[in-house]
Amino acid sequence: MDPASNRCLAMARVALGAAIFLALAAAAAPALAQNPEVRTTCNIHQGPCSAELAGRNVELDISPKPVKAMEELEFRVTISGDRLSAAPYIDLGMPAMKMGPNRVEMVQQKENTWTGKGVIVRCPSGKTTWFARVTLPETGTAEFVFDVVY
Amino acid sequence: MWSTESIYAVFLATGFTVGFGHCIGMCGPIVISVSLQLKDRPSFLPQLYYNIGRTITYSLLGAIMGATASFTRFASEIGGFQKTILVFAGVLIIVMGLAMTGWVPAGRIFQNAPPLAGFARAGFKRILDARRAVLFLPLGMVLGLLPCGPVYTAMIAAARMGMEAESTFGGMISGAGVMACFGIGTIPALLLLSQVSNVKWLKHRDLIYKFGGVMMILVGIYFTWKGWTY
Repeated sequence: MDPASNRCLAMARVALGAAIFLALAAAAAPALAQNPEVRTTCNIHQGPCSAELAGRNVELDISPKPVKAMEELEFRVTISGDRLSAAPYIDLGMPAMKMGPNRVEMVQQKENTWTGKGVIVRCPSGKTTWFARVTLPETGTAEFVFDVVY
Repeated sequence: MWSTESIYAVFLATGFTVGFGHCIGMCGPIVISVSLQLKDRPSFLPQLYYNIGRTITYSLLGAIMGATASFTRFASEIGGFQKTILVFAGVLIIVMGLAMTGWVPAGRIFQNAPPLAGFARAGFKRILDARRAVLFLPLGMVLGLLPCGPVYTAMIAAARMGMEAESTFGGMISGAGVMACFGIGTIPALLLLSQVSNVKWLKHRDLIYKFGGVMMILVGIYFTWKGWTY
């Protein structure tokens, strides 16, 4: 085979490899890619954020304030309405880029109040906008978008 | 959360998916710089060693996370060091870019460096003149310490594994396992990028090397500035 054909063959192999990898990556994309039912932007440093989800009021608070990255934080979720069938949980991420699965497990404190500990990590890009996606099992998800302090 | 068995698969898949997005965006310039720097030399093995080096560092970080069962304690200690690594990566890319453009011969870049910088000078020269692929393993190990969001996320998972482990050693092993899976998952994307960015098959590649060198200098300045302000 002449050198030009070899080059074409090598490029074709690279292109095929890239296509296979991208297809696998798309197939392996985590469920975090799903869209929440409710999305709201708020200033978490000033107080709790709240949203309406399926007839319930979902309130999220994070402490200590100001909310800083790379520190242990307490997440508090208060939900109105009937008792939940299972514990809610929070997925943390950035709207601008995938950061990997970072889930905060919640423990019930009172009838409608749940708390959990977690960390919002720092992104070297300098972007400070994060989301906390609160999932109420069998009800839906409410996403709170806010800025953190680096 | 995920079961102990599934968390390895979760982070392998995470590394894989993040690799094709985040890693190519953030670490891509380093990978492309290394590929261009190698010019007519084979790039697959050096790039493989570089990625293995990164994964070794991730595993060691995971072992520390798993043993201490605390992300924040370690993260607060390592912040200043990571800033230095980010600046180092920026300077390395600038040096590679300067050497590649040919404006400053590689041997002369460090000619007027103070004697105290001898260790750094020797390291940079060794990378620029690398004849053996295995020399890229320590480079990967050092650059595995670059600050990175998804790496931090995997470190949090490793620390959680440590909390759930029955012993410090058990936590160390499971933490290292999570981070190793994450690191292995990121390899295909960066390895593929390194091979795509290899232009040695092009006939008129001198111009690309010149242009690539200029781009590397700009990217290196950006990395250095990011490190300075981190």
